[in-house]
Amino acid sequence: MKYIEYINKLIQEEVLKQKNLIVYGQNIAAGSCLGGLTKNLQVKENGKIINSTNSENSLCGFGFGMMIGGIPSIFFMKQLDFLLLGIDHLTNTYNIIRNSEYATKSSFTIMPITVDKGYEGPQSSLNNFGDFCSISRTTGYTITNKMDAEKIIQNKLVSPGFRIITVSQRLFKEELIEPDNLLYTNNDLTVFQYDDGEMVTIVCFNFSFPQGYGLSKDLKKNKIHSSLFNVNSPVETNWSKIIESVLKTKKLIVIDDSKSKNLACDSLISKITNQCKLNKIIILKREISAEWLNPNSDEMIIDYKKIISQLS
Amino acid sequence: MNKDYEKIAYEIIKLRLSQIIINEEYKLGKFKVPIHLALGHESIAVAINNIMQKNDKLILSHRNMEYNLARLGALKPILDEYLLKSTGLMQGKFGSMNLINPNCGVVYTSSILGNNFSVGAGIAMAQKISQNEGLTIILGGDGAIEEGSFHEVLLMLKSLELSAFVIIENNNFSLGTKINERRCPINLEKFSESYAIKFMRLSNNDPIEYIKKLNELREYSIKNKTPVCIEVMVTTFGDWVMNTSEQPNGKIITYHSGPTPSISLDNNILLKDTLEDPIFVLRKYVDKKTLKEMSKTIEVKLLNELK
Repeated sequence: MKYIEYINKLIQEEVLKQKNLIVYGQNIAAGSCLGGLTKNLQVKENGKIINSTNSENSLCGFGFGMMIGGIPSIFFMKQLDFLLLGIDHLTNTYNIIRNSEYATKSSFTIMPITVDKGYEGPQSSLNNFGDFCSISRTTGYTITNKMDAEKIIQNKLVSPGFRIITVSQRLFKEELIEPDNLLYTNNDLTVFQYDDGEMVTIVCFNFSFPQGYGLSKDLKKNKIHSSLFNVNSPVETNWSKIIESVLKTKKLIVIDDSKSKNLACDSLISKITNQCKLNKIIILKREISAEWLNPNSDEMIIDYKKIISQLS
Repeated sequence: MNKDYEKIAYEIIKLRLSQIIINEEYKLGKFKVPIHLALGHESIAVAINNIMQKNDKLILSHRNMEYNLARLGALKPILDEYLLKSTGLMQGKFGSMNLINPNCGVVYTSSILGNNFSVGAGIAMAQKISQNEGLTIILGGDGAIEEGSFHEVLLMLKSLELSAFVIIENNNFSLGTKINERRCPINLEKFSESYAIKFMRLSNNDPIEYIKKLNELREYSIKNKTPVCIEVMVTTFGDWVMNTSEQPNGKIITYHSGPTPSISLDNNILLKDTLEDPIFVLRKYVDKKTLKEMSKTIEVKLLNELK
């Protein structure tokens, strides 16, 4: 099954459970339905599906307004870039909400698609999900595989409070990654652990889980057993399980495919280097080339062989 | 004397005096939070307070004092809120520019220009889904309509068939500039017409007339599931003279926030002998002597409340 098909299936199931739910966004029930993300949605009694106007700023405020009025809603957004227009609401409006009785009165979720598939040109290639969450310390989730998709959509898509959940357009038509095990998640579903090797700890940020998962498999083939974590929320969270693992392995690989200057992974690296004596640390970040603003594949390529040789 | 007129006059005078008392405290430097007085806005605030029904919701901007005072009907909890005391209306958690009072229907207030329009649209949507026949009343100013969100929200309210008032208080000022100093005129009537939204302009501060018209519009908006755009012409009293090298003779500024030095509790509460002043307009309904007595009684009550 493809990544987007599975996510769409989970969304369909959740949306159908909720009474009074307003599901809205531009062309969510028309055309490609946001590349399949919002295909075939049906809502329960008194709910509504709205093909909205093209007013991203106001559509963010609209969701918070419904939250104040006690009505749950989901705003599906075609591109993460469009959420730039709603930054005022993500900060100023949300601050009012969480400073009041409205904080848990209802549910509001914004679900943008991170346009990271490349070749968009100078615009529409912003993949820095962490920045949107960081600016007002908002809880946000990336969805990268079958297991985090299930946990996050089933528990967070409609749930008291506000959050942003994003999916990767690069992964839409890829086969869904189905890890063999889910060994651990923390209570707020911000850290997931998929493997528990004793030789190196791999931690993935933003949408770098496919790279981390591939690296973990390649390392295993070379008899290097890794602990594999994905940090699904870019805002600092409970990293105790990751630190516990690093204390054991003393080797850390951090992967972050976000193009921001300030990265979510920097907080973790800072914390770990303060608390653990490391024998090896490999930090894999985006290298911004001269062609950065030109249409390009925009893909984070990792030289697995080089890393294996560094660890052998 | 008509008891209804007397009641409205009482509310308007109380609102004026409450603000003058706040101004006195402000002059003494007692507040850390920025406060925006609305002297001159009393008629529309009292009219809105009188037409609001149980399920109606009020969505305000940074200059919200007049509506919060009118809705609550008391000064001390608001003054305490401005002083960030735990005895404040919202336990000192909201201050002035974001002061809400959900128990009285003041559900959202924003200090960001134009931010509250869309939140209001969401609240109107929630009212529709809840089927509670409530009206959403969204307030903005002549500065806020320069924000794109004003256009976006009229479009949304109309397209989604939501019952709402979008009320624009036009005081011809935004921060330190008059409309003609910063932009071309905006004809709100034509603007509304282009969205097939009913428009009404209210002027001359007659609270009785405002209540009558707003009640009619309320019924229209709910019955027809449509927004109504209302422009209210107001004068914000308490200006000051700014001297700059460009304007050596001084430029009169309608203050944005801060205390107004030209208004004092020791002086008459009537600030202008024209229809620009809601207190002056009250003479149409209540004789001068009664207004004076009423003013004295209210002042004593308010000051006692604060002791």
